[in-house]
Amino acid sequence: MQPISIAMVTDFFHPAVGGVENHVYMLSAYLIRRGHKVIVITHSHSPDRVGVRWLAPSLKVYYIPFVPIASSATLPDFFTFLPYLRTILIREHIHLIHAHASLSALGHEAILHSHLLGVRTVFTDHSLFGFDDAASILTNKLLAATLKNIDAVICVSHTGRENTVLRGELFENYDGETTLRKSVYVIPNTLVPERFEPDPPKPSDTITIVVLSRLAYRKGIDLLVATAPRICAKFPNVRLVIGGDGPKLIDLLQMRENHLLQDRIELLGPIRQNDVRSVLTKGSIYLNTSLTESFGIAILEAACAGLYVVSTRVGGVPEILPEDMISFANPNADDVFRAVEEAVQIVSEGRHDPFRAHERVKAFYDWDQVAERTENVYDDVIKSPQMELWERIQRTMQLGRFAGPIYTIMLIVDCLFFLFLEWLMPREDMDFVRANWDRDTFQELARKTGKTD
Amino acid sequence: MPDDSESHKILWKRHENRPDNYVSPSFLKSLRTNDNFRPYTYWPLVLLACALTQHLATIFIFVSVFVRLKENYLNPRILVWTSVGCFLTGYLFWELLDRTGLSHEHRRANRVKALKSSILIFLALMSLSPVLRTLTAATSSDSIWALSATLFALNALLADYSSLSPFNAVNRLTSVLSMNAAISASVVLASRLANDVAVFALILFSVQAFALFPRLRHRLGVSSCPPVFQVAFTLILSCLSIIVTMPLSRTVTWIYSAVQFGVTFLAPAVLVWAQKFKNEIRGPWDVAIPKVN
Repeated sequence: MQPISIAMVTDFFHPAVGGVENHVYMLSAYLIRRGHKVIVITHSHSPDRVGVRWLAPSLKVYYIPFVPIASSATLPDFFTFLPYLRTILIREHIHLIHAHASLSALGHEAILHSHLLGVRTVFTDHSLFGFDDAASILTNKLLAATLKNIDAVICVSHTGRENTVLRGELFENYDGETTLRKSVYVIPNTLVPERFEPDPPKPSDTITIVVLSRLAYRKGIDLLVATAPRICAKFPNVRLVIGGDGPKLIDLLQMRENHLLQDRIELLGPIRQNDVRSVLTKGSIYLNTSLTESFGIAILEAACAGLYVVSTRVGGVPEILPEDMISFANPNADDVFRAVEEAVQIVSEGRHDPFRAHERVKAFYDWDQVAERTENVYDDVIKSPQMELWERIQRTMQLGRFAGPIYTIMLIVDCLFFLFLEWLMPREDMDFVRANWDRDTFQELARKTGKTD
Repeated sequence: MPDDSESHKILWKRHENRPDNYVSPSFLKSLRTNDNFRPYTYWPLVLLACALTQHLATIFIFVSVFVRLKENYLNPRILVWTSVGCFLTGYLFWELLDRTGLSHEHRRANRVKALKSSILIFLALMSLSPVLRTLTAATSSDSIWALSATLFALNALLADYSSLSPFNAVNRLTSVLSMNAAISASVVLASRLANDVAVFALILFSVQAFALFPRLRHRLGVSSCPPVFQVAFTLILSCLSIIVTMPLSRTVTWIYSAVQFGVTFLAPAVLVWAQKFKNEIRGPWDVAIPKVN
């Protein structure tokens, strides 16, 4: 594929940490390695993450001065992003924008605006949502409106795709028959296996169970609180190491206090991304009690670090590993206990080889492949014909009796606003970006500075 | 070995000649719509709506009692005695309902507590009534009507009409707010009355109607007493409210009766009709509900 210029647009990016943040960064890095030009557009993190920054492998990041309202997401207001986005996309000669995460207002807005500049759109959904609470109903409608005119959607698991398709109403009517849109892809999340090398097993009778998770309700900490004392009572040689922080920490502390398990359960508090491997390699079993999970990258990291995994059977988790590397439990305390029992047996009998597990995960997942598959999606999008404004209006009207006209009005106002901006800030007066980092210059410079040191 | 439908759903192995937008035949197979959906039927809904009807009736009875007090049609002493009578009848009911659930000692302790707090409230209201009479006396009557109407609306909106949790010991925040709104409404209305006895009678009545009666109603709703009682009780209350409102204003009575009818019979019918639009979507992406014993 011809090298193109890609803009990743999302509210969730470095310096915030998390699954989406890491995914966007890694994907950008591997796309740069494949010869594309990639920039990231996100909101600023005051006081010091403002303006334009460069990250390590020649990745340019624009921090737009928007204030996040809740959990690092900005307020969706549909228009205020356009002046920034227009300038950036024109200056950087962007061909395609790739928005991430369905709660990112910047991503939604970029998808709404980009057709004005002839820029193509791809969207990756990272999470699962329900359908029955007020927040979900509102955000799902927002998602459906945004995805109505998108060129391609990527989901991280098959379950995630089923969820996104229903939430975003990604169906087409061909000759009276409703089918799924062709442009919905499944590309799994992935990891860098080299960062999760297992440690050689220590000769010891103690079996350590590791839990690394945000300590929140959705992560199923209630199940952990219910099963941990039972596990400790049944197996005197089992220890628990729990990393992470969150509202449910207090429950864990209380449980430890009540059952006098201070010497058996270790609570580590928040763990930095760089320390994840060192925590994981303390143990031989990884326990995940999540109640919902779209992909479960933490499980994969644990399996890669040579741990045997016990997990609840939720969301996309059953898809990510073969059945012999993981024990599943239904989300109830008895079954989690049963699965942990099974895992302790497997590990104590030495039926699980950490190094073999590492090699297998290495064979299953790697970033080069994911970047290539994403590139194929870009290729399909660039080759497909672009929708005209009239078609966009017609498709937007299909959204519903109330939502349809509202979003159509927004679409048209957006066009007028764009024309106003064209008059106010003509393209001729703009400073275009001509110089850019590439791998060779970067390496050469690194070599040079190394010499002068 | 996973069966064929499952083998489409794996991410760790990639089919060489299968594009990423391939849709397997098992796509959306695990989707379930209206899975544990139990449709409502009309008459049970009407029975549930009785709680609402009763509450509206209480508000209207209260307001017409106030108007009568204000216009001196009603001797406040009679109202005090009626309140006491209502309290005793209500307490008798409460005791009858208690007989099934609690132990003897527990009931005895409850009785002593109830007696103590009723004496306390009685005395406190009596000593406070001169203060309450002049509390908002300087405010113009228009403001008082508007304020009390708003507060009663708030009371009706927030009241606890549920009959689900059998032993709901802790009151929910909204039902406490609702009670406070009603008591505040009666306090502001009390300032329009002529003498202290009338104020005392009105506030005592409002405590009966808005603090004690909803608890009894909730109790009746969740207890397993036959629906006949519920229906009879509702019928008595709404007839009473219409009868006491009728001499005061014909228009209000008509509107009020229409609202009563709508709430009791039309609203459940609308809900039953609207159920055909129900589309509940469930699947593997739902947040699991942890079972902890």
